[in-house]
Amino acid sequence: MNQRQNILSNGWAIVRRNKQYVIWFYLLNLALAWMGARTFRQQAGHVLDHSLYSNGLVQGFDLGVFTEMLARPEFGPVRATTIPAMGLAVIFMLLTMIFVPGVFLGYASDHRISREEFFRSCGENLWRFVRLMILFGIVGGMVAGVLFGIQHVLVEAASASSNETLSFYVQLACLTVIFVIMTAIRIWFDLAETDVVLADQNAVRKSLGMALRQIRQNPARLLGAYVAVSVAGATILTAGIWLWYTIVPPASVLGAFLVSQATLFLLLAMRFWQRATAVAFYTGSKLEQAITIPVAASQPFPSPSAAQPAGM
Amino acid sequence: MSSRPTVVACLFASILALPAIAQELPSALSIPNTTSAINSSTPMSQRVVHYEIEAKYDPKSHTLDATEILTYHNLTGQAQDTFPFHLYLNGFQPKSTWMRESRRDGTRDSLAQTWESKDNGADEIRRFEVVGQGDLTAQLQFTHPDDDNRDDKSVVQVHLPKPIPPDGYVQFKIAFHDQFPETLARTGWKRDFLLGGQWFPKVGVWWNGAWNCHQFHGATEFFADFGVYDVKITVPQNQVVGGSGIEISNVNNQDGTRTITFHGDDIHDFAWTASPHYITYADTYQGNMGPIKLTMLMQPAHASQEERHVRILKQTIDRCERWYGPYPYKTLTLVDPERDSAAEGMEYQTFITGGTSWWMPEGLYLPEGVVAHEFGHQYWYGMVATNEFEDAWMDEGINTYTEIKVLDDVLGASTSALNLRGTTLSDRQLTRGEYAMVADIDPVARNGWQYANDNSYVGATYGKTGSLLLTLEGIIGEDTLQRAMHVYFMRYRFTHPTKEDFLKTIEEVSGKDLRWFFNQAIYGTEVLDYEVLKVDSSPVDWYKENFEEKKGERTYQSEVVIHRKGEFVMPVEIAIIFDNGDKVRERWNGQDRWIRFTYEKKAKVASVEIDPDHKIYLDRNNFNNSYVLEANGKAASKLNNYWTFLTQMFSQLLAWWMV
Repeated sequence: MNQRQNILSNGWAIVRRNKQYVIWFYLLNLALAWMGARTFRQQAGHVLDHSLYSNGLVQGFDLGVFTEMLARPEFGPVRATTIPAMGLAVIFMLLTMIFVPGVFLGYASDHRISREEFFRSCGENLWRFVRLMILFGIVGGMVAGVLFGIQHVLVEAASASSNETLSFYVQLACLTVIFVIMTAIRIWFDLAETDVVLADQNAVRKSLGMALRQIRQNPARLLGAYVAVSVAGATILTAGIWLWYTIVPPASVLGAFLVSQATLFLLLAMRFWQRATAVAFYTGSKLEQAITIPVAASQPFPSPSAAQPAGM
Repeated sequence: MSSRPTVVACLFASILALPAIAQELPSALSIPNTTSAINSSTPMSQRVVHYEIEAKYDPKSHTLDATEILTYHNLTGQAQDTFPFHLYLNGFQPKSTWMRESRRDGTRDSLAQTWESKDNGADEIRRFEVVGQGDLTAQLQFTHPDDDNRDDKSVVQVHLPKPIPPDGYVQFKIAFHDQFPETLARTGWKRDFLLGGQWFPKVGVWWNGAWNCHQFHGATEFFADFGVYDVKITVPQNQVVGGSGIEISNVNNQDGTRTITFHGDDIHDFAWTASPHYITYADTYQGNMGPIKLTMLMQPAHASQEERHVRILKQTIDRCERWYGPYPYKTLTLVDPERDSAAEGMEYQTFITGGTSWWMPEGLYLPEGVVAHEFGHQYWYGMVATNEFEDAWMDEGINTYTEIKVLDDVLGASTSALNLRGTTLSDRQLTRGEYAMVADIDPVARNGWQYANDNSYVGATYGKTGSLLLTLEGIIGEDTLQRAMHVYFMRYRFTHPTKEDFLKTIEEVSGKDLRWFFNQAIYGTEVLDYEVLKVDSSPVDWYKENFEEKKGERTYQSEVVIHRKGEFVMPVEIAIIFDNGDKVRERWNGQDRWIRFTYEKKAKVASVEIDPDHKIYLDRNNFNNSYVLEANGKAASKLNNYWTFLTQMFSQLLAWWMV
């Protein structure tokens, strides 16, 4: 198999082989979102459950009824519903940070790792991932800040034109460039995370250095793979929402739930596909090194789990 | 009746002979009887003014220099020696009343926190001469009839040495210089676009025995007398120009400019626009009094929406002519203003501005709503020329009702604002929403500058008036109200009616005393809010233990309590439905604070609904108008599903980028 050409398919094979991770993360997110939405459900129910006026939201989506509900004092302040939801979204992000090392380990392994191995990896890599996330926040934040600043200037300049669509297209072009650059940064940190876990690398700067070299050597390959998966994610999201509006009857809460959740599940799977792609690339490049260096080639390439004496 | 060439010849002669005008006797003056801009052989209004303006616009500096000859016919019934003039553009100055109120109370425009020179507007009179009485420039005095703001220069007054006798004429010759602001209050420039509204010195109205010439306020609009307008505008040759009335000529000058001449009959305002980017579309509508030439000046990015604009324009003209009366003018110009300009959605006579953007899905009826509203103003503000300073509800509110009726008829009552893949919104809901937020703050009938803030002004004038007229339909009947509006229009077109003229017409046509309603809905701040306070069904033989219940066999004592939460008293109907399908309708006059209805049936109450036919649009809270005993969680579950989806999505995207 030509590793250079198949990081996407290898990555997808890894995701399929380890479906349980996507499922668990999906269920975790659903559970947190459900908790986050409880306040909203209670507040909405307080206004809607005993009123015939709420029928406008059952047989269709009457925006007038909806906005009137939000404006009612009985509904309570909108922030009472948004703050728990936002807070739990942050918790999901933190839990993802905690559990993703186990996922990388599982993805690199040729067998299903035990629960103990999974959680041990999570524990051992926690502080490394915290540092990586902080570094990502700094680097990504600075780059995004500069890029969005440039976008603002360009859009403002385009707004001065009488060509009404110009600013929109400038904005679109800028967002595309920002997306690609931010994706490149994400690849950098995904590879670093992979290295941290699989090489049991305590010095995250070394992992970041390694990852940067890999990106510089294989920019199109990595970026192409990540962008392709992102496009697939965007397509899934668009198709899911389109299906939601076209095939689900307005009054069917269950139908809407199933379609929306299937969409979210597949969207989540896309992110795991990217991580698996990073693992496939990482293990593939290690294999290439093993083949091209005679001394290393004389030794069998250890399985990722066997290669991590302390952490796996 | 003067022919068009005669008017132009007179105009030229008068301008060429300016020094001689001062010597001319006022008795030789008159207001032209021209009818070239209307589909009528005789004038339709009592013409008080004749404006002859020659203006040259410089797009680079956004300035304009002009001369104005105003002939005024004194129909006040008494001698007049004092004349007030509006200088609206002076409202856009840092210390003006308009700016002060807009910053204090809010405005439709977005005002920067810091003063910028581009916000500056000015209408500076450089010479003011009264024919036969000489140069009175030095006599001009700024007045502030509404507040003590001595820095406000939006009204100027002149005292004549010689009074103008009743039925006499006076001619003012004014040279003025305008500085337009970057669009504020539907006038000014944006990039290379200009909307010239309220741009010339405009005499006040003698109304109800006094001069009515209010300062320019943050929330108020305008008030003027009917007459004839002859306006020449000179602009660079790359500009496409549109204006009120009919276009008489469009001539290229040798200095690279172009002069466009407009003439308007029986109008009380003149607005114009210029932009090098307009795409012009022309169409014709066969009105009840004759053909109406429709001119659409569209932005290039909106060219594909031309058909949408023409369609709703024709549909609105059709409804207004059928319901209220004929549109007599020969032209209607629809301007699609520059994006991000504060020039969208404005009415001038025979000249309106729309509002759209390059991305406008078919089911989002924003352009339709704006066009229907602004054309409706040709009736309410245009022909029925109420005082927009003091009775804003009579133009904005009555017109909002017209807009609702037109959009209901054209787009459907429940989908008249939005109809996108199951998501709907009606224009009447939007209107009611504006009112419900500020229901108890200001009465409808209030001077435009005396509302608590801009939200309250909008809520009362647009929202509450629209809602109260919809509610009135439920009281006197939709057909009766439409007939009353027709009578009101035909009786008061080309005049300045008062609020009582309108209300009495409705009472007269309906044959009902509606004071109880008007006093609360128009003159009062009483809030209308009825609620189902209590619903209960208890077995009559409640004392029996271990009763084996079988549906339809046990008798229940049911009680329903309806509560009038607000101060607004209004008769209401109540529908009670029992769980065996029985339906009962009750009627309550609402005089007491609450009423109890009791029933003894072999069924329990399933639901109670106040105003089951949904006729009362003034009720502030629709949710408490009904009560269903068995909770139906479908709507809340549906919303909860949306909310959960959004939360999960946000979580995933956050985690996508951060980890």
